This record gives sequence, C-alpha cells and structure tokens, in this order.
Amino acid sequence: MEKRIVSKTIAQRKTWPKFGDSHNDKPGPNPATTIVAEDVYMQFITNKEDSDKPDDSGINKLKGMDQNVMKCRNCKGDHWTTKCPYKDSLVLANKAAEEKKPPIGGMEKKETGGKYVPPSLREGAKNTDSMSHQRRDDTLAIRISNLSENTQEADLEDLVKPFGPYSKLYLAKDKNTNCCKGFAYVHFKFRADAAKAIEMLDGFGYDHLILNVDWSKPSQN
Amino acid sequence: MKPLMLHGHERAITQIKYNREGDLLFSSAKDHSPNVWYSLNGERLGTFNGHSGAVWTLDIDWQTRFFMSGAADFTLRIWDCSTGTQLGNIVTRSSVRTCAFSYSGNMAVFTTDKAMGHPCEIFVVDTRNIDSSFSDNDPIMRIPISDSKVTSILWGALDETILTGHEDGTVKIWDLQSGKELAKAREHTNSVNDMQMNKDQSMFITASKDNTARLFDANNLMALKVYKTERPVNSAAISPILDHVVLGGGQEAMDVTTTSTRIGKFDSRFFHLVFEEEFGRVKGHFGPINSVAFHPDGKSYSSGGEDGYVRVHTFDQSYYEFNFDY
Repeated sequence: MEKRIVSKTIAQRKTWPKFGDSHNDKPGPNPATTIVAEDVYMQFITNKEDSDKPDDSGINKLKGMDQNVMKCRNCKGDHWTTKCPYKDSLVLANKAAEEKKPPIGGMEKKETGGKYVPPSLREGAKNTDSMSHQRRDDTLAIRISNLSENTQEADLEDLVKPFGPYSKLYLAKDKNTNCCKGFAYVHFKFRADAAKAIEMLDGFGYDHLILNVDWSKPSQN
Repeated sequence: MKPLMLHGHERAITQIKYNREGDLLFSSAKDHSPNVWYSLNGERLGTFNGHSGAVWTLDIDWQTRFFMSGAADFTLRIWDCSTGTQLGNIVTRSSVRTCAFSYSGNMAVFTTDKAMGHPCEIFVVDTRNIDSSFSDNDPIMRIPISDSKVTSILWGALDETILTGHEDGTVKIWDLQSGKELAKAREHTNSVNDMQMNKDQSMFITASKDNTARLFDANNLMALKVYKTERPVNSAAISPILDHVVLGGGQEAMDVTTTSTRIGKFDSRFFHLVFEEEFGRVKGHFGPINSVAFHPDGKSYSSGGEDGYVRVHTFDQSYYEFNFDY
C-alpha cells in the first residue's frame, strides 16, 4: 500500500468509477490488461558510460570489433603483418621458434607414444559386448574339474542337464588330440540351479575320478 | 526499469497522450475503442466505446473534463472523461486524421482526409457547450487544403494560430481569424508523422518518414535542430525537465521482411536536444513504435507500438545521472 500526496484534482480522478470495457473490473489493475514487463535498461551509447544491460548491444559489439581489425600476427601491434616494423628482427625469429617447440613435443607423446589399442578397448567401445561380459562375469558359472580324459560335450551335457537351463557349456580340450584337458565350465541361467549343481556334483564319482565342482572364479586380468 | 505493459488494444496503437497533470494516459488504436489508464500503476480506468472505425487521433482538454477522438468512421466524438459517455458527435465527409483542443479549451481543431472527391479540410469548432446540438453547430472556421493533406496539427501561441504538418513534409502556420497561411517551412522531404510541443510551447519537434526528426521554433518556423536516424520516425517528444528528446519509429510492418537483416529496429531512441547525438536506446516493442509521449513531470515516458502494447517506463537513477560529455 503506497501513500502519495497529489493535487486535489488528481485525487478526485482516482475515485471515478470504471466505465466501458473496464466496467466490471475490481479496484486495482486487472492482470488481463496490465502486465509488468521484464526489466529493460537504457543502453547508453557513449564510450565512457557503461551500459547497465549485461548483454552487449549490437552497436557496442561492432565498435569493439572495429578496434581489432588491424592486428599484426607477429607482434600483435596495430598494423598489418607484412607491414610489421619488426619483420627482420631476431627477437621475432626466437619467438617463433619457441612457439613451435612445445606444441610439437606435446603432440608427439600422444601420437607415437601409444601402442596399438584394439577397437574393443578404445574409449567409446561397443556397448553390446560389455553387456555380455556382464552376463558372463556374474555368479552363474561353475567350474567342473578332475574330469577324465575321454569326457566329451555330450557327457557334460548329460551331467548338468537335470539341474536346469544353461546358456553355455565349455569343455577344455587339447587342440591336437581332442582329449579333455580335465576341466569344464557351465554357465547356468539361474543361480539356484548353479548352486544345486555344485552341491550335487562336488565329490561325485564320474568315470573313475571324483569331480571337483565349485563357483567359477573370475579371471585374474 | 520495469516498464508496465498495457494490453488494452487488439490492433496497432495510433496515438498516446497524457493529460495535463499526467495522472491519466489515453491511448487510441486501430481497434475502435480508445482506452484511458492511470499512468502510475497502469490500471485501466475505462474505454470509450462508440466508434466504428480505426481511431486515428485523440486529445484531452486542459481540465481533463472532455476527451476528443477522431476516427475512420467519419466522426469526431467528444466524451466525458469521468463516465465515458459520449457527449457530442460531428459527422464529417471523410476520416478524421488529426484533432486538438485549443489551450483554453474553448475551441477544437480537426482535419479530415482527402478522400472520395472531398479535399482535406481544417475545421475549427466551438467547444464551450458540448451537448446534442454540438453536431449541428457550424464550424467557426473551415479551411480547405488543396495540396498535400494534413498529417498532424498543433495550436499555436495564444490560440491565434494553428500549426500543421503535411504529407509532403511541409510545416505551415495558419492564422485563425483570416484562415490564411502565414508561414511555411519546407525542411522535411517526406511525410510529417507527428508534431509535439515542448513544455513552454516555444518549440516543437516534428517526426518524419524521411528518417529525421526536426526541432522548429514555434513562432517563426525557423529550423533549429535535426535528429538523424536510419529508419522512419513515427513520433517524437521533448522532455519537460531535461535537454532530451525521444524518437520512436521503425519500419512499416510490411517492409521488415524485405529489408535489413536485423529483426526490425524497434527501440525508442534518446537524443540530446542540443547536440543532436543519440545517447540511449530502450528496447522492448515487438513492432514499430507509433507514438511516444513524455509524462508532464519528465520522470517517465510511454510508447505505443504497432504490436498493440503501450509500454510505460519510469526512468532509473542512471538516466538522471547521465551527463553528456562535451
């Protein structure tokens, strides 16, 4: 609420009832007709006066640009590069040499220093493989060891099938003779099944050997 | 400063004026109803409903009793300021383009457009008694204009003369008693859009389509100053307390797309009265500014634009502290 002292006629005019389209308006400004707009500032156009507005006006920007038009590349003076008064000086040559060295040194490190990085291990590598790594790395895999020499995939499958669905069977075989190396990995779909398999198969007599079955340990990489 | 945005009109604003004491702001637009607002908080007092055409011009008498508006519906109407009721109506032969109450309030002058075989004419009427017989009274004076039509009008000193601005850029002084042309000034090269007096009525500023505004002496039409911009000036006003003038303009809406890469130049520009140099700009309008007016105490100003908004700005402290270095 604001109090103002005004002349009699002005005060009297304040008491007039509203008419026309404002006939039904309540006292005080009607928000449909009267809005307080955003702050605007007068942009003063002299070099000395700082304008209040945070943004530069177009004219001020142009003025600023004009001042930078003529800049020597060597000494940053107010003249063109070919007209530079220090064209033939040693100072300039040293400056140029200095500026060239550090950037090259920095660049070499990056380019020749690194070994070949395979695409899968570069940054921004493929997404799907990392997902499947996750799948395999978790505790759904069991390792069966002390398998006899003539164990085959079919035997392994018969051994683990009753415990539940599995996503992968891997039997380690010798490349040349195709004999079993003695161990295998089974990736179950459900951890409960994997746990049951371990419980039942560990110490189980299969062929003439006693099996060792345990959770597959993650690789030491 | 936080300007008040007054949104009472649906079409472009044609003219805005403060009353003598400055507490009321009147606005007319191409929609058919002039509005009146309290200038302090932007509260609308009312609208004057009755015209059936674009309202081109308005004026308020010295005591804020009567409000006069001229429109494209061939009428000049006089209304009661307090109640908004129409008191008198004069039917003319073509659109009423300009109007002004005399300083004393006893007379009013208005002009009609050149249209449909009727020439542009200046009418002076008696406004002491405004009632239903108002329209039947003969005008005190009727001056036909044979060359370019009148685009803005002001009363001269002591209500003895009338100043007119024309579509070809000339400014003329007419004697009221005889109806003769006393003086002519041919400074502008294109249409004079608006003329406003300074506070003591010794000078007036004209805003013209030739991208300049000029300051003239009110008695002898001597050209005093020129304020140059790059776009048509639609309106100009002189500050009553400082040596500043404000110019409002901008291209016509249809020219905007065909010229210049900047999105229209819709700001009011402040010039120093004496040095003719621009020192400030206030942005905000979404379209060309058609009318500007200073509050009689000089502490605020308003602008009405093609966008239909009237913006009332109250000056910051920085405006008063601004010193033009010379």
